[in-house]
Amino acid sequence: MPGFDFSNHNRNAALHAQGVPLPKATSTGTTIVGCLFDGGVVIAADTRATSGPIVADKNCEKLHYIAPQIWCAGAGTAADTEFTTALISSNLELHSLSTGRKPRVVTCMTLLKQHLFRYQGYIGAYLVVAGVDPTGSHLFTVHAHGSTDKLPYVTMGSGSLAAMSVFESSWKTGIDRDAAVKLCAEAIMAGIFNDLGSGSNVDVCVITADKTTLLRNYIKPNEREKKKRNYKFARGTTAVLNEKIITREQISKYITVHELEDETVTAAAEKMDVDT
Amino acid sequence: MQRTGMLREDGIHVDMDHLKKGEVNLGTSIMAINFRDGVILGADSRTTTGAYIANRVTDKLTQVHDTIWCCRSGSAADTQAVADIVQYYLGMYGTTNNEAPTTQTAAALFQEICYENKDQLSAGMIIAGYDHRHGGQVYSIPLGGSLHKQSYAIGGSGSTYIYGYCDANWREEMTQEEGIDFVKGSLQEAIKWDGSSGGVIRMVVLTAKGAQRHLYLPDTGYKGPGEQ
Amino acid sequence: MASVFTAPPLADNGPGYSFKQTPTTHISADGTRQHSFYPYTDNGGSTLGISGADFTILAGDTRSTSGYNINSRYVPKLFKIGGEGPEHTGSSIVLSVVGFAADGDALKERLDTVVKMYKYQHGKNMSVAACAQRLSHILYNKRFFPYYVHAILGGLDEEGKGALYSYDPVGSYEREQCRAAGAAASLIMPFLDNQVNYKNQYIPASGYGHDLQPRKAELLPRNTVEELVRDAFDSAVERHIEVGDGLQMMIITKDGIEEVYSPLKKD
Repeated sequence: MPGFDFSNHNRNAALHAQGVPLPKATSTGTTIVGCLFDGGVVIAADTRATSGPIVADKNCEKLHYIAPQIWCAGAGTAADTEFTTALISSNLELHSLSTGRKPRVVTCMTLLKQHLFRYQGYIGAYLVVAGVDPTGSHLFTVHAHGSTDKLPYVTMGSGSLAAMSVFESSWKTGIDRDAAVKLCAEAIMAGIFNDLGSGSNVDVCVITADKTTLLRNYIKPNEREKKKRNYKFARGTTAVLNEKIITREQISKYITVHELEDETVTAAAEKMDVDT
Repeated sequence: MQRTGMLREDGIHVDMDHLKKGEVNLGTSIMAINFRDGVILGADSRTTTGAYIANRVTDKLTQVHDTIWCCRSGSAADTQAVADIVQYYLGMYGTTNNEAPTTQTAAALFQEICYENKDQLSAGMIIAGYDHRHGGQVYSIPLGGSLHKQSYAIGGSGSTYIYGYCDANWREEMTQEEGIDFVKGSLQEAIKWDGSSGGVIRMVVLTAKGAQRHLYLPDTGYKGPGEQ
Repeated sequence: MASVFTAPPLADNGPGYSFKQTPTTHISADGTRQHSFYPYTDNGGSTLGISGADFTILAGDTRSTSGYNINSRYVPKLFKIGGEGPEHTGSSIVLSVVGFAADGDALKERLDTVVKMYKYQHGKNMSVAACAQRLSHILYNKRFFPYYVHAILGGLDEEGKGALYSYDPVGSYEREQCRAAGAAASLIMPFLDNQVNYKNQYIPASGYGHDLQPRKAELLPRNTVEELVRDAFDSAVERHIEVGDGLQMMIITKDGIEEVYSPLKKD
């Protein structure tokens, strides 16, 4: 049977009854928005992910790819938005391949709402779906329980009230691309600064009939303060109780070892701040 | 607290406590009436999550066939899902039988779904349609999934405030203009007294000529713009 | 459905409301109603204090929160105790409170009054040690309906050395070198342990295995402490959503109390 594996449900329920707390999911207490404009649609999001009051990720990506011309902004449980959008993206591509047509935003919205309705709100994905297809530009919200709305401007997540106040006071009919991007960024900034669940940077995605532009970290209003002191420890500060050296020859039995050409280049995908 | 059942101890208020946490609610005022040439459906446009208005221009009048429409109240997700399923079945019915379904058929389909899944749904629906065999008809399906054919039906949280108004002002065989004024007058009262109803008034007029949408904005005291 | 509206807005009182808990009613199966009201709110924020040879520094952010909302970007958590007039002239004791802001305010008023009364009755200023013990008693007096705060008291002792006392909500207290309190205490305290008391730091090449000599803590100069405080708060702001907006610092020396305000990130 495809779908979720519920085999741990009874064990977890028993543990919970004994007082073991449920694991805490990373939630994207979020601000996400979308706005239609003449010739396309724009969506935007903040980049903070939280676990309770702790910031789990300062620069996460909440704009998800569905199809080249359909993108999704996600709020709610991080894993649910990630996997739900990935699943629907996959199904939509298969559908597109079998019909030989470009995927439509309504199709995407319908797949999402039917999937989420089936799980009665237990999949905590709150989404803003936007895109341009042969029938025009479209913007929807999809709630975790499976209800949808179609509006010219939308907001979701914990910062949705702050963001909506920007739209309700500044939005006008017949808005153009640049004004829509500016308005969305402003709405996200309202969320970043007035909602504790939202923070860090502004991501924007602009979709028009001819192209999609993802503006990652379009605005960075929250750069980290420079450290006043140097926290580099003298070599030997940490107590070493015993030492074992594994040579390259020994480890080569288990893994493949590659020599880095340049010693300054590390294999890490993201650069980390290191005190010098 | 009891989890299901329609009435609170005051005998009026519908128990919506089994709406799941954070679920989008159509705390609504909806109605549909018969008039001389067909039926009129009417609704406010407010959708709420708790105290927050998630959508102030919602369209709660949903088409399920050419001249069969429904008014939705209760959970937004549940009523959209039910309406989508019925729309699918009526579409299949229309093409396979090469004949449009009757309003009664549509209402029976709605009832079947609402009754068989009553434990899981919070959907209060009003179905109204026009077919050439029976003319205009109005059916109401409250929370338990029972089906009632009525000359006019009101529903949603706002309806509790307008039973008196509707009873006092209702007349059989109204003209279209009188019917629109009746619906508009009733919904204005419902919006005035019910906190979870508001926004614009939407209407759909179903006659032998087909479906015609109407819109009335609060900015102009619900005077216009009227026909869309 | 109208009943939905008269009830508390959201069943779980989730973020979005300025009250953490609105009065609620629970109806049990037999029809009996239990009304309940939780009198405390957590207003977030963080404080810390470090004492030096001839000074004590107290610091706190100035953000006040409830749920996911910011009540204000400037609500001080540091209070001068026992001074004269609105400027608290002549004060040499600082109280910092974090937790439930309303209780913090009430506690500050009580202690301020007590210290002033002492001066009027005895004709001399209260010592920090005496003030510290009095604060403990004020807290314990409400043992079964506590002030929901974590307090830190700072000043100079009778020898002119920096003095710092930290408290739990019911009055247990201790004189310490440094202490972090509030929302980000668990983030800041390990940093302070390492950088002020040099915990987990050893003197390189001072021995082998268990004989390695731990680095001895010394009293830090004022400039170093101020930099540590800035860095501690800048870092706490990065990882805790309830900390931010502004940093209020009070430095108590023999010349009085110096107050410094500097901005923190506002997201």
